[in-house]
Amino acid sequence: MTIVARQVLHELSRRKQMLALLALLPVAFYLARHDLPGQSIRLLSLGLGWTISTLALFVTVGAIPVERRLRVAGYSVLQLLGGRVLAVSAVGTLLAAAGFGLVIVDQALARHWALALMFALAVAISVPLGALLGALLRRELEGALALLTILSVQMLANPDGTFAHIMPFWSLRQLAAYVVDDESSAYLTSALVHAGITLSFLGVALCAISAVRMRIHKAERPEASSSLSSTSVG
Amino acid sequence: MKSADPEEWRSQFRIGLHAAGVEVPLAAQMTEDAMDEARAAELHPAALFGPARTYAEQLARASRVAVAEPLNRQSGGVVLRLSSVGKTYGRRRVLGDVDLEVRAGQVVAVVGANGAGKSTLLEICAGLQNASEGKVERVPHVGWVPQSGGTYDLLSAQEHFELFGGASRIGRGRSRATGERLAARLGWRPRAQQPVSELSGGTKQKLNLILGELSRPELLLLDEPYQGFDRGSYADFWGEVRRWRESGTAVVVVTHLLHEPDEVDHVLELLPHGGPE
Repeated sequence: MTIVARQVLHELSRRKQMLALLALLPVAFYLARHDLPGQSIRLLSLGLGWTISTLALFVTVGAIPVERRLRVAGYSVLQLLGGRVLAVSAVGTLLAAAGFGLVIVDQALARHWALALMFALAVAISVPLGALLGALLRRELEGALALLTILSVQMLANPDGTFAHIMPFWSLRQLAAYVVDDESSAYLTSALVHAGITLSFLGVALCAISAVRMRIHKAERPEASSSLSSTSVG
Repeated sequence: MKSADPEEWRSQFRIGLHAAGVEVPLAAQMTEDAMDEARAAELHPAALFGPARTYAEQLARASRVAVAEPLNRQSGGVVLRLSSVGKTYGRRRVLGDVDLEVRAGQVVAVVGANGAGKSTLLEICAGLQNASEGKVERVPHVGWVPQSGGTYDLLSAQEHFELFGGASRIGRGRSRATGERLAARLGWRPRAQQPVSELSGGTKQKLNLILGELSRPELLLLDEPYQGFDRGSYADFWGEVRRWRESGTAVVVVTHLLHEPDEVDHVLELLPHGGPE
């Protein structure tokens, strides 16, 4: 698993422009509403979710042709999937840590640990979300459009409405209320429950889809003799 | 182009040997031998041997020796058997009633026109696709070399060696060393940190072949493996096929044109509708 993760990280590290844009997107979200401190933190967490899930989507789709070959070579689905998730999570954690540092320096907040939890959940949810869309749709443009739809609805929907509750990053909005508005611990609890359910669903769906997409059809070892033969030129 | 300065020829010859995978001490020795021969004949080395790079490639090819010892495998055991295998997509039948048996040390060519189902058959052999009908039996240790898309553009050859070696739990150092030795046999010395996207089509195909062979599988499945090869690389490829055969590896090679019928033990020809001839 670690060798797969290492090679994914090597490949990502050579895409300097992509890495710069990855870092830019959440910061742009943050600065866009810097006039409203609470709103800027909410948008930063959603920006992190968007950028990391997009990264996971593109890494997943880009790996499909090679992973078929690596499966034949002997890697298990768990090794390939785990390595990829590990690598994207590492990049996501770096981005989240940078975002955390930015907020700590820029704003006065009482619940730093909850802010860290919010960004950690943004990473934890966005990695399997992007990977699942990549495994399902298997094309970059289609996956990017699906993510755009999900994230746009997430941002535009009324957070108290039923529709918003089924969106993957609803827990971040709840945590933001706890972090920024000093709301009661009920917000923290509902965020953790929602995140737990979302992560369980994404994790199970990702494993199931990956197992189907990357399966090697079993075959018996041939017996010693047979009457069959191929067409011979000799 | 003939160089007027013998020293320039010497330099180009040595660089050519190195680029073709000859180790530095051996390249130095071969260079000195060539220069001594030219001096003894009182001729410019280019007049005696021709262009430095061309002669270096020829000499490197002739100097290559088998790296892998023959495996201790049961001679002639069946490694792949297809019994009445067919494949249907919806109502479209792309492959029908294929019987094939491949034994250790045998080379089988699967030929046929475009759309005859050759690549589909190879993917069924590898286990990547399920046969709609019939039975597939194969050994578990298989190497598959797809026609395209089997490498990461931004990784180097050495990083690919590590990644593919890891599939068989081969250590990083050993994977690199094995990959570089196999590359030398195909007349290629991978440059450190050079991404695959910067390699020529033929060199990418060499990397593709090496990755299929890296863990020494019992059965090698090759899909149009010599696309983009020049004449020398094509000769190296069939040299490799002979080596695999001698070491007991079974090879199934898919091609739309078979120029070397004497190099294979069997030919399976697929007709355009997918059935065998």
